[in-house]
Amino acid sequence: MRSDSSEMPDEPPPFLGSWSRVYTAVVVYLALLIALCYAFTRAFS
Amino acid sequence: MRPLDWVVLVGSLTSIIAYGLYRGRGSNTVDRYLLAGRSMPWYAMALSIMATQASAITFISTTGQSYVDGMRFVQFYFGMPLAMVILCATAVPIFHRANVYTAYEYLENRFDGKTRALASVIFLMQRGLSVGLTFYAPAIVLSIIFGWPDRLTTLIIGITVVLYTVTGGIRTVTWTDVQQMLIILFGLVVALVMIVLLLPRQVSFLDAMHLAGSAGKLNAVNFHFDWNDRYNVWSGLIGGMFLALSYFGCDQSQVQRYLTGKSIAQSKLSLLFTAMAKIPMQFFILFIGAMVFVFYIFEPAPLVFQRVEYNRIRQPELRARYEPIAASYQDAFTRRKGAALAMVEARHSHDSRAESDSIASYRRAQQDLDAARRQGASLVEATGGEKGFRDTNYIFLSFVTRYLPAGIVGLLIAVILAATMSSSSGEINSLATVSVVDIYKRHFRKGASDHHYLTASRVATAFWGAYAVAFAGLGKHLGSLIEAVNIVGSLFYGSLLGVFVLAFFFKWVTGTGAFVGMLAGEAAIFAAFLFTGISFLWYNVIGCLVVIGTGMAVSLVSPAAPGRPSQF
Repeated sequence: MRSDSSEMPDEPPPFLGSWSRVYTAVVVYLALLIALCYAFTRAFS
Repeated sequence: MRPLDWVVLVGSLTSIIAYGLYRGRGSNTVDRYLLAGRSMPWYAMALSIMATQASAITFISTTGQSYVDGMRFVQFYFGMPLAMVILCATAVPIFHRANVYTAYEYLENRFDGKTRALASVIFLMQRGLSVGLTFYAPAIVLSIIFGWPDRLTTLIIGITVVLYTVTGGIRTVTWTDVQQMLIILFGLVVALVMIVLLLPRQVSFLDAMHLAGSAGKLNAVNFHFDWNDRYNVWSGLIGGMFLALSYFGCDQSQVQRYLTGKSIAQSKLSLLFTAMAKIPMQFFILFIGAMVFVFYIFEPAPLVFQRVEYNRIRQPELRARYEPIAASYQDAFTRRKGAALAMVEARHSHDSRAESDSIASYRRAQQDLDAARRQGASLVEATGGEKGFRDTNYIFLSFVTRYLPAGIVGLLIAVILAATMSSSSGEINSLATVSVVDIYKRHFRKGASDHHYLTASRVATAFWGAYAVAFAGLGKHLGSLIEAVNIVGSLFYGSLLGVFVLAFFFKWVTGTGAFVGMLAGEAAIFAAFLFTGISFLWYNVIGCLVVIGTGMAVSLVSPAAPGRPSQF
């Protein structure tokens, strides 16, 4: 029922040049969010 | 609801559905009906993924959760970005290249038919239970506002959802999701602005945050590790990551979203965008709940937010038991309000000693108020109310309908109903896909025409809609709905994740190993659920590890049969 996509290429991301750099940016962003949430908790508790 | 609310409500819902049907026209083949002809751009997939997740439950239950328990629930989402990165590097390209309609179809390519069938059945059980809860949330809304019976409300919403999902397939589902998500974001901002505007003039936004924080409502992060503590950074990062891996990697309601992508890159971008947007969005929703808490420091809140039970415990025959609780609640409210105003004044005059004193009084009053609310809930329970009664799901809606102006109420009700329709349509669509592709076509009717499977998909969609409506009433027995949905998911996701980990990373594991592993994983999860106090976030870790361990052990003693090598 489906057309063949087994040769579908993995295109590069539209920014940062490679997927590993994009993944690293997401992990850094997560660390930053947790740090901000921690600062928020400390500031208002 | 006033006339303007009705105009906003009906107008916004009608336009969302009309737009979705317009974008979904031409879904006349199975490929277009179930996978939108693999034509969707990343932003539509991302908003659709978020919208499917952000149901009415998210909106009404999360805010109530924050009012009662603070913002610590946000940690539940910390594992999601890690999970998305792992999925983008593994599952997304594998599923795309495997040329499949469902995640479970891939399991037959990799293992065998029985493993695919078991995974499909586990998905159908889990998602079938959840979709009923998705329908139940708006039934709460309308039962509070209009006093309509839950069943009738569920039926009306169910028929609407089934009609447009059956008609337009996943393309309609996705484009209605996009509109619905935009309305949700707009509604969230409007709700927060309105709450802040309704605070007393002398209480600034910063004061409100200090008041919420001093009552422990802004407790977004806790680094202390405890197995039995439902939400801390570690359970969020590890348990939440496993849950997100399971949900986005093995749950067809999510996998089907990114299988509609134009390319692997578009699908990856949709997941990564979701990962980045989800935590701030949940933070924002929880923050709204914390601000509703601050609002009710200055405005009297009912002892019990569920109006029907509240009216019942105030009946003359229960007065002797109700009045002492109400008196202590009122006393605690008055003391808390006085202490809060004193705290604000001390902050403004930079009097640190007066501020410390007022914070201590404020916290004592808050403890007394919480105790009175617990007694109120116990009274509901002891006098014929539901066992384990909680009014978490009613807090935000009580506030909306009582204090917000005409038009805004209609907008927020539209948000809640649209969220329900969008989530349930996605779930029903995925249930129908698995029923037809993995069960009906695989085991009952092979080799029929495309038109036959298209008709079967529409019939299955209607069936799952009816099923969801029939089981929606289960929601009233499950306390906080947002937790109930995640607990139900955690009972099944761990073993699904485990079998996909075996499929992706352990080439030598056999179909029998994977099959027995899944059964063992489910047994371990239910044992943890029934016989231990372990937090549900860890069920996914436990289930996944048991599946992997058992699958490997069984494969060692029963290697793959000749002529059926493991594939990757």
